[in-house]
Amino acid sequence: MRLGMVIDLKRCIGCYGCQIACKAENGTRPGTTWARVVKREWGEYPDVKKLSIPVLCMHCGEPPCVEVCPTGASQKQESDGIVFVETDVCVGCRACVMACPYGARYYQDDERDYFEQGNNAYEQCVYSAHQKGVVEKCDFCRHRLARGDEPACSANCMCKARIFGDLDDPTSEVSRLIREEGGFQLNPELGTDPSVWYLPPER
Amino acid sequence: MTGSAATQATQSEDTWIPSSCGMCYNQCGIRGHRVDGTLVKIEGNPENPIGRGRLCARGLAGIQLLYDPHRVNRPLRRTNPEKGIGVDPVWKEIGWDEALDEITDRLARVREEDPRGFFFSGTVISLAPLMHALGTFLPAFGSPSAFVSDGHHCGNAEHILARTLHASVTTNPDVAHCDHLLLFGCQAGLGTYYALTTMAQDVADARDRGMKVVVVDPFMGTAAEKADEWVPIKPGSDGALACAILNLLVNEYRIFDADYLRDHADGPYLLTDDGWYARDTETGKPLVWDVDAGALRPFDAPDLGAVALEGHYEVENATCRTVFQALREQVAKWTPEAAEEVTTVPAALIRRMAREFGEAASIGSTIVIDGVELPLRPASALYFKGAHGHDNAWPTSLAIELINEVVGASNVPGGLLGTNPVCLGHPDTGFPRWQPGPDADGLLEAGALLYNDPYGRSPGWPPPPESADLPNLRDLVGWPITTCFTPAALNDRENFSFDHAPQVLLNYGSNLLMSVARPEVCFEAFKDAFVVCVNLHSDETAEALADIVLPDACYLERLDPLPNFTRHHHPVGMGDWGHTIRQPLVEPLYERRHFSEVLLELARRLGITEPMNLLTNNLFGLVAPHALEGGAEYEWREIADRAYKSWFGEERGLAWFEEHGVVTWPKKVEEVFWKPFIHARAPLYNEWVKRSGEQVAKIALDRNMKGVDTSGFVALPDWRPCRAWRPRDGFDLQAIYYRVPWHTFSMTYENPWLDEISRGEPYSYFVCINTATARAKGIEDGDPLEVEGADGGTIRGRARLTEGVHPEVLAVANNGGHWAKGMPFARGKGIFFNQLLPMDLEHTDLVSLSMDCDARVRVRKVGEA
Repeated sequence: MRLGMVIDLKRCIGCYGCQIACKAENGTRPGTTWARVVKREWGEYPDVKKLSIPVLCMHCGEPPCVEVCPTGASQKQESDGIVFVETDVCVGCRACVMACPYGARYYQDDERDYFEQGNNAYEQCVYSAHQKGVVEKCDFCRHRLARGDEPACSANCMCKARIFGDLDDPTSEVSRLIREEGGFQLNPELGTDPSVWYLPPER
Repeated sequence: MTGSAATQATQSEDTWIPSSCGMCYNQCGIRGHRVDGTLVKIEGNPENPIGRGRLCARGLAGIQLLYDPHRVNRPLRRTNPEKGIGVDPVWKEIGWDEALDEITDRLARVREEDPRGFFFSGTVISLAPLMHALGTFLPAFGSPSAFVSDGHHCGNAEHILARTLHASVTTNPDVAHCDHLLLFGCQAGLGTYYALTTMAQDVADARDRGMKVVVVDPFMGTAAEKADEWVPIKPGSDGALACAILNLLVNEYRIFDADYLRDHADGPYLLTDDGWYARDTETGKPLVWDVDAGALRPFDAPDLGAVALEGHYEVENATCRTVFQALREQVAKWTPEAAEEVTTVPAALIRRMAREFGEAASIGSTIVIDGVELPLRPASALYFKGAHGHDNAWPTSLAIELINEVVGASNVPGGLLGTNPVCLGHPDTGFPRWQPGPDADGLLEAGALLYNDPYGRSPGWPPPPESADLPNLRDLVGWPITTCFTPAALNDRENFSFDHAPQVLLNYGSNLLMSVARPEVCFEAFKDAFVVCVNLHSDETAEALADIVLPDACYLERLDPLPNFTRHHHPVGMGDWGHTIRQPLVEPLYERRHFSEVLLELARRLGITEPMNLLTNNLFGLVAPHALEGGAEYEWREIADRAYKSWFGEERGLAWFEEHGVVTWPKKVEEVFWKPFIHARAPLYNEWVKRSGEQVAKIALDRNMKGVDTSGFVALPDWRPCRAWRPRDGFDLQAIYYRVPWHTFSMTYENPWLDEISRGEPYSYFVCINTATARAKGIEDGDPLEVEGADGGTIRGRARLTEGVHPEVLAVANNGGHWAKGMPFARGKGIFFNQLLPMDLEHTDLVSLSMDCDARVRVRKVGEA
């Protein structure tokens, strides 16, 4: 099994719901956005195009972050291909942050708070799950998968632009979409073989 | 953490609670995860048809509003006697009793002297408590002086036409069957607008299916980004484009639904030369031309033959024409070429837009839904603030609406639907129930509007305007249900000949200094009044004006029975009805209190509980044995319990809703696509507007009022330039504001998660300017700019050079740029657009009380912003 996600750039309206769905689910610290949106614009008025491209960890088949990790903290899960960080083993050297071509990794330096008063009651509850001095990233919400739910970003997407499933299963929805709707990976030339696929915005 | 809920809760608590969102007016279904008294997660409630388990960024981020350390937690009293914009009020914390004693004392005095001196303003974001105040406290007190202070951002003209043409408060397209969606300054399902989280799912499905989306907008927002075609247009000229499309449809291409116009609209009604319905001298009923009989007959004559839709006919030696004929002649001057001159949209493109829309409507086609054959008109034209946020709002909105009407795409599959104007009730109880019907002229009359009334009593047509006692023009004009005009009228008190001034302002949940126009407008209007702000933050309005601030419970801390106003933002189309609860996910933290409970307490102290009870029965449709009795005092929970039981039976009281969150049942096809089932005609011709205009002119003349221009009270669509169009020497650009899906008005700028979006997003914290326009002025990306309004006001922000904006336009997102000490997180984030907007009679559409939301400006590069 190789878990992956298809992001349909035609359905996505760039609302940033995924960015906040991830924050709300994982309670990540200020400045950390495991899911985020990149906006691009091209053409010349009035023939102009804008595009919103949601990004997250690509859960690469050949993850450069795992390769450079000196401690073995960055790992690829054998059973489903999820790339994750064993934070207890991470020493915060940040080699993986440099190695990741997709900007998916965040070093937890705890340098800033949202509010000058420090953490509020909610933040006190949720930040305790995030160690300082380590690198964190999207793990496809492994805690949700364990109870049979899909990742928070795809479960919430109000355009249903994110579809989660098994890339190894040719009958899965993700496999069908990639096959029939022109699925592509970001920066295939890097040879990282992402498990996150995109469908073209116009088709 | 000092909040009561956390300290009181048991240590092992881990629970999910269903409720309703309150981060915008759409009130989607949510559920909250509470662990040991702390709310740790908000997500969509999959059982609720409002959102179907999916939320926007704002809804997900609500937790940071609940625990925002800058919330007001205890009543505050101003100790600095000086009031002013930017003046530090020097708050002192006081107890609730002290605060309520003083407020009661002030209110009691006003009530004795002249109740009209009690003013109320509120926000549509907190729709349920707002309606509680408007529907019970204000009338029980005896004051009509209320206004909705985010009227600037609100529907105004759209609400009027939603009522006359669709029997509801708002509209949304039936995208499940629509093939062509034409949006004017609106992002339905593509970023903003009613029922967003549900519509986003449905619009994405429809686009997958092949629905074409055309977006008319000066700025490429999220909707235009996704559109198959972006049609940039000069701000305020949408009406000219719509008139040209109408002209092409009804005159050049002759693509119109004659059966619909003849049978379901007033298309065949005859008009006299002076613009009134020709009426039967005996019955007073509108006349039509019976082709078979070759005679004039009342529209509802029992043996009526074929009826003429077009042409001129003789009535009592005068020549009459049908309404449809009048419409054809009215729009004839709007050739695509004439429209191009105004809109900058090429004539050839206008022709193609009209033809594609008309052809997509597939007039004559039918569809079978749930075994019923219905007309299928898979084309919808829809509009919002971009199109109608101008002082030509009425004729513009009418023109766009009539694009749907002429092709019959109105309240049938694929077309534009009123927001749930027909409900036949829950299968167990038959409640709630409302539906439109015909008035004496055969014209559509809504069954129920905003208020929850299970009997669906018709609110009727507006009474003819008779006076100008209300400083909001509302009884001059009658129909606008939301307006922020009141402060402008107060500042023009002599002209309006008001003999009373505001003594007390109770301002609930709104930051009117920022939301209405430039802050001086509201400050001037209320600076001499005793001002009470009931709000979440000590915002700009509180700091400049308030004598007392009461700490409000936010939507996650309060109980609102029936918070979803079904005709306002519940999803349209087939699917489920959903009636919900909003309940505290945590008990109010600190000393925050729910406004509805404060109102009950104030009523008790003022001795007006008895009329409050009567009005509460009316508001919630409480029926025996659940109606409130006499002057008895009821707890808020008790009232909620009675509301639920009145609607859904004994077994579904408050406790049931607290546990289940939402009651659902399937919609019926005759509820959703009601037009073929209910014979009530949509008025293309607006006799009532013409009548109102004459009455307003008469009142203005009688009172010697200046600046009351009634030329906009037109019965048929037209276009005229808005005031912001007037050429002004040296002011070469038009500034507009646009909306992003992650901010609501100005309140969300205080939310750190939503701020994080804007900081990572390229446009929303910048002044967007067309690249070529900028270069010609020597402006580069990132340059600090100063934008100066021709009508005053200056805003500053950094330039974002983009190809996605009309060359004559500057575009600014929402309404940021807070300066209050009490909102330190929000301070300086984004740009305060409203600084550019004056508010007065001149910049207001008197039919809908919409204000001009764009401004003539010039821009220059300055030092550091």
